[in-house]
Amino acid sequence: MTCHDARELFSVLVDEVLGADERGALDAHLETCADCRRELQRFRDTVGLLRAVEPARAPAGFVDRVLEAARPTPWPRRWLRALFLPWPLKLPIEAAAIVLVTVGVVYVFRATPELQRAARLESTKPAVTEAPRAAISEPSSPATPPDRARERQYMEKKIAATPPAARNEAEQRAAGLKDASRDVDKRQDIDKQKEASRPTPRTESQVAGKVEAPPARAEREAGAAKESARLPAAPAPESRADALQAQRPATGSTAAKSLAPPDVSGGLAVSDRDAALRGLAQLLARLGGVENRRVDGHEGPIIELTIPREAYAEFAGELARLGRWQPTMEPAALPAQIRVVLRITR
Amino acid sequence: MEGRIGDDSHLVDRLRQGDPRAFEDLVIAYQHRVFGVALRMLGSQAEAEDLAQEVFVRVHGAVAGFRGDAKLSTWLYTIASRLCLNRLASSDRRMIREGEETLTRLASSHASPAAELERSELEAALHRAIAELPEERRIVVVLRDLEGLSYEEIAAVLELELGTVRSRLHRARMDLREKLERFLP
Repeated sequence: MTCHDARELFSVLVDEVLGADERGALDAHLETCADCRRELQRFRDTVGLLRAVEPARAPAGFVDRVLEAARPTPWPRRWLRALFLPWPLKLPIEAAAIVLVTVGVVYVFRATPELQRAARLESTKPAVTEAPRAAISEPSSPATPPDRARERQYMEKKIAATPPAARNEAEQRAAGLKDASRDVDKRQDIDKQKEASRPTPRTESQVAGKVEAPPARAEREAGAAKESARLPAAPAPESRADALQAQRPATGSTAAKSLAPPDVSGGLAVSDRDAALRGLAQLLARLGGVENRRVDGHEGPIIELTIPREAYAEFAGELARLGRWQPTMEPAALPAQIRVVLRITR
Repeated sequence: MEGRIGDDSHLVDRLRQGDPRAFEDLVIAYQHRVFGVALRMLGSQAEAEDLAQEVFVRVHGAVAGFRGDAKLSTWLYTIASRLCLNRLASSDRRMIREGEETLTRLASSHASPAAELERSELEAALHRAIAELPEERRIVVVLRDLEGLSYEEIAAVLELELGTVRSRLHRARMDLREKLERFLP
């Protein structure tokens, strides 16, 4: 056994966990090596110093503090602690999360035109629904003004029975009803004057939803245009279809549908625009289509129409006869009622 | 009962039965030992108290699941040792420790009167020598020479092979022998 081997066994020797064989070899080496004997003694003294160290004592009050810390925490404090502690770490994270969510909402809103349109529609819906309905349904439904009066009375009663906090909204609605009712009265007077100046009364115009004769239609359009001028947020009706649509309560789905992009769009280059328009009207009448609206653009009229899907192939073929039909958007999958926007140019 | 570690089976039974006084008895019985390990390992009184408290809080939360396969003392030393080594391994703790060591060296080299009077020069040298040991050797020598655990118990607490325990202990003692040379007779 070398000195190095012998000294490696000093710890187990001091702790008395040395095996009998190793103990014999170590003892034999120590008998012949004075350095290792001296080294062993110094090793024993070192361990003796360590074992003589005064045991540490926990500070006074330690047990009480441990018992306090181990006591179950009430759930509100646990919840608050989990939410906010440690303050320097969690508060900035929470603040950053709020800012991120806010920025995200604003970004999504800005990046989604549908949401913006829906928000605008939402804010203008009362005006859009009340006024046109009153304007157009009045001649065809004589019971409307008394109904309005009853509704106004009901609202006034409701306001009286409403707590002050909720009263403002109800008062605003009642005021709106009054305004609408006044509008109805005014329009009723105008229409009566027009009716009187009309050579023969048109019975068709008294039935809501039915196809109106051209003079009555022109009056409706004039009334609707007047109404829309008073309501800046409402879209200006430019055709009978719009007027008819405005007669119905403007639900979110119909409003969204009218704002949705067309299914098919394209340009129709013709040599004779009037002849093409007449041909288009005949074509629609034959195929069961309907012209929704018409706008005079710079290069020519832009017409939005609806055509049944089964008649679309024939419609497209006939368009090619009327002029040079160049669709810019014509998807393979089409809905049952296809909305077509076409621009007629020379 | 304070500081006496005898047959813990009765205490374990009471703890598992939910005896409200049993946990208090456990803390009273082991507070100095757990605190001692933490103090020798971390070197800071405040930090040692904080860690010892954490040990007992953890024991309180887990005592119902203690199966009694190991001795209660071994279980406590296991938790204390792990928490100490984890804390020493954390980056925050490393920065604190470096600062403390600097302060200790300054204090000893310039003979801080308060510290040196409070404990003997030998004792201060011993603490400093232990504190300067590498962590994996320091925990072994603390458990063996200051707390009196057997090799087998140390191996169980630190989840080490017996040979590793022997080797680390021997290296630690050899380091200390060199550092304490001038105090040896």
